[in-house]
Amino acid sequence: MRHLLASRDFREGFVEMLPACVGLVPFGLVCGVGAAAAGADWFAALGMALIIFSGAAQVLAVQLYAANAPVAIIVLTCFVLGLRFLMYSAAMAPYLKPLPRSWQRGLAFLLTDQAFAAAIRRFNAKDDPRGGGLHFLGCGVALWGMWIVTNMAGFFAGSSIPASWSLDFAVPLCFIALVAPLFRTTPSIAAAVVAGVAVVALEALPMKLALVAAGLIGIVAGTLVDMMGERWKAR
Amino acid sequence: MEGALKLWIVIVVVGALNYLSRLSFIAFFASREMPPLLARALKFVPAAMLTALVVPMVLVPPTAEALAGTSPRVPAAIVATVVAFFTHSTLKTLGAGMAALWLAQALAR
Repeated sequence: MRHLLASRDFREGFVEMLPACVGLVPFGLVCGVGAAAAGADWFAALGMALIIFSGAAQVLAVQLYAANAPVAIIVLTCFVLGLRFLMYSAAMAPYLKPLPRSWQRGLAFLLTDQAFAAAIRRFNAKDDPRGGGLHFLGCGVALWGMWIVTNMAGFFAGSSIPASWSLDFAVPLCFIALVAPLFRTTPSIAAAVVAGVAVVALEALPMKLALVAAGLIGIVAGTLVDMMGERWKAR
Repeated sequence: MEGALKLWIVIVVVGALNYLSRLSFIAFFASREMPPLLARALKFVPAAMLTALVVPMVLVPPTAEALAGTSPRVPAAIVATVVAFFTHSTLKTLGAGMAALWLAQALAR
């Protein structure tokens, strides 16, 4: 542990995630409030934050649980929502390849939307797998710790926050902070625009399939534009 | 099924599936070469997936109303996007986005 705290990369990752943690507060509160409203006890609310560690899946799970949906439906819907993790995992794979297996297994647990975006940025900026891994670990630990604290705060005290503050809007704002700086190349803009349009157009798909389908369509669009641009340059 | 037990089954199974999804390709490609086309496509995962996550959060509630421009979340999200693009700062994005939302809500009233 002391060895970890002594690592500059670990501390950099941890500190880099602190602003994102501020944005995580409302998300965690929303999850805690949802768990309380669905009739979960504090231990189950804690278990959800500790084990599932995915805001979108937790919100969805407690909503379906409160609506008395069967276990199979809840699990399947959350699994579809979590299919984006397959893409994160694939995108992260080349960077984690040089690291030991135990590191890969540990870091996989911390692969959330936020940690993914921050870690990828760092791996791209510096060609240093070990430092990048430590940085990723720092990001993940900060997010996980904050996640547990805010979930419990939401469970016990969240219902006293006035709805008119619209604090839940901080959740999309955090993702905007991660994605907007990527809009610097034509293929990335194409990937984002197509994915954004597709997710609205596919809204009617069941079980949150729209999210992962739109993501895939956006990735294909970005790749095609990238290849076209290359051919254009080669002429 | 008894409520608490049912919830714990959901927690453990969803947690396990989430972990396996997160581990899947990291483990798969740990000892294999990745096809170049796939490696190229994966560069666009952050831009595409994060946008697909954000858009529904901004356009609810109701999509039609948001598209018609009456939802205060749409202008607030645009302000946040511009701030994030230029500053790269999560805190500044959060501050500008929330301020824009509160302003738009006050004006709409």
